[in-house]
Order: sequence, then structure tokens, then C-alpha cells
Amino acid sequence: MPAAVLLQANAGALTNFEVLDFFRARGASKDPTRVIAKVAQSEYKVYDYLVNSPACSQSRQNINEFLEKVKKYDLAKAEILSVLNTRPAGPVDLFAIIEDCEARFPDEVLQEIIELVKKTLPPPPVEMDPEEIPDGNEETATLEHKGDKITEDQNEDEEEMDQGDEISEDQNDDGEQMDTS
Amino acid sequence: MFYLSRVEHTLPLPPPLLNLPIREAMHMELEKLFLDKVIAKFGLCISVYDIRSIEGGYIFPGDGAPSFTVVFNLVMFRPFVGEIITAKLLSSTKDGLRLSLGFFDDIYVPVHMLPIPHDFVEEPINSYENDSKKGKWVWKYDEGQELEIDGIDEIKFRVQSVSYPPIPVEQPKESKPFAPMLITGSLDHDGLGPVSWWPDAEDIEEEQE
Repeated sequence: MPAAVLLQANAGALTNFEVLDFFRARGASKDPTRVIAKVAQSEYKVYDYLVNSPACSQSRQNINEFLEKVKKYDLAKAEILSVLNTRPAGPVDLFAIIEDCEARFPDEVLQEIIELVKKTLPPPPVEMDPEEIPDGNEETATLEHKGDKITEDQNEDEEEMDQGDEISEDQNDDGEQMDTS
Repeated sequence: MFYLSRVEHTLPLPPPLLNLPIREAMHMELEKLFLDKVIAKFGLCISVYDIRSIEGGYIFPGDGAPSFTVVFNLVMFRPFVGEIITAKLLSSTKDGLRLSLGFFDDIYVPVHMLPIPHDFVEEPINSYENDSKKGKWVWKYDEGQELEIDGIDEIKFRVQSVSYPPIPVEQPKESKPFAPMLITGSLDHDGLGPVSWWPDAEDIEEEQE
């Protein structure tokens, strides 16, 4: 079989947001089941990384606005890309991103760039929200499944355990089944 | 960090997939071939972005499947030298740090690329795993001020080099598993290191003044 031929190694750089958008378009989500979408396991690892990066709250409008306004600072393409991907929060972060930073930009300009980033690119949402409300249906579904499993185990072991509130319904059902059998 | 690369490849399409629309079938085959694989010099293939053209469909003598020539775009992970990437700490040993992006784990920060002056604090030797190599790296950035790399925060690093070691003919025993793509990172610059080291730029500037 002939080997793959690389026609163009660099057909264009993608920002983190574009890659994330590509996965989202194919149905990747934080949904814990992860079976329905046509996204491979290795792709989900990338998705997980991107969802926890500043790219998660960006949108095409934000980015276009930022690109328009950042033009006057004459940054290199790779530098703009890095700014979009890392969303620097202070001038110190820019030192690392921008080459020869101190010679090219005075402190005030750096502060201006930071202000621009803060204004146009939305901050990543504060974490620690594992119980998202929109996913409520799926969560309860999984809880019910867990409930089933627990009750099954209990039937097998015939142990008397303290029963949680969420699983009481299932246990009533199972209890009735046990009476009839 | 991510790039599109255009690739042309001739591959047979197995008969069980012939009942599917050709693009869909080809997409599946390409994913099987390229996903999560490193192509030397071009990086780690993340995903098949799109298929530009499919040509051919000839059945070669002795083959049990039609062969197609496909031109498609791949999403490649290929960091450029000097890029700043946020990663998580995977392990911390005497030889330096190993960082992970979740989908890519072969990022090493050697000792000489840690912020200077630095120091290594060994963990008490565990009687079960008898290697004393694990521990914490500390940056002594000021008199009496120590900042440690503890793996709680995400770590920003600068890409120092990306290398694609050749596949070894024979793997020496007890060596670490072969990695087709290695990133060497550096923390020795303002703004790099654990995110908590640079809480708010203004505070630090005031301290310096």
C-alpha cells in the first residue's frame, strides 16, 4: 500500500476555540454517557482539555472583535494565536508570549492589550459546578440506574442497610417483587 | 498548537463498509488509520477534519477491496517552539518534571530549565517502592521565599523543542516506553510555572518596586 503523502503540512493554524467548535459540531458534550456522539475516545481527551481551557467560553464574534482591535498593536500571527489560547490575565503573562516584549512595547501598551483581552474575550466560567442544572434529566437517569444496582446487590447479599432517599422508590418496587416471589 | 495538514493517501475500502455512503465509510477508515497517531515531523493526529476529494475505486488484481485515493485534512497537534501551553503535573522526580495535557503525556521539563535558583526536596523513601527519586521542586525566588511546584495548579510552560525520536529496533529492557514525539519544556521565564505563582501581575510589580 502506498504511503500517505503530505501535500501541505501547514494548511492553516487552528485556535483552541476552532478545534473545540469542531468537536462540539460533531456532538461532543459533557454528557457522561459519551456513546451517542461520533467522537472517538482519543478525541474526547482533547475535548476535555479544551473544555477546561479559556477557549470554552469564547465565540466567533468575540474572536473577530478581538482580531479587529488587536491589529493596531502589530503582533505576529503566532502571538495573537497564543493570546487567544491562553487569555493572559496580566502583563507578566504577555512577557512570556510576546517575543522581545520589553523592547517592542512600553508598559502602558501592555496594560492596554490586557484591558482589550479582558474586555473582548469572556473569562472562563468559575469551576466547581459539577451539578449543572440543564443536565438534570440525565443525572437523575444515572442515579436511578445506580439505585437499581444497589438494590440488586442488597437482594443478593440480603443485608439490611440504611437506605438513601433517592433510591427508596426502586426499593419499594423490588420489595413488592420479593413479596410475590 | 493545532494545525490543519492536508494529506493524500491511497487505501482500500473493506467490503463490509461498502453499503455506507462513501464519505462516511472513508471517514471511518481514515479515523482508524490516523487517529491518536504521531506522524514524524508533523505531530500528533487529533482528528480527521474533512475529506476534500475521493477518487479511484479500482480493484487491483489480487485485492479483495476497491482502492481509493483520498485527499483530506487532519487536525494535528504540533506546538511551535516558544509557544506557551498550560499543562498539569504528571510526575516530579530528580531529573525534572513530567507534564501532561490529558491527550499528550510526553512533555519533560529538565532540571536546567526550571527557574533558578531551585532545589529538590525528596519525599521520605517509601519502603515499598524503593526509589527515592520522587519529590518536589522548589523555586527560591527571593531570600527566604520558596515557591513549590506541587501539582495542585496548572503549570504554564514554554515549548523549548519538539523531537521525533526514530523508532528503536530493539527496546532496551526496563527503559521507559517508547514515545514517538517528545516535547521539552521550560519554566525559566517570567509568567511561567504554576498559575498561582503569578496571581496578579500588579502585585508582583509593586513588590519589585
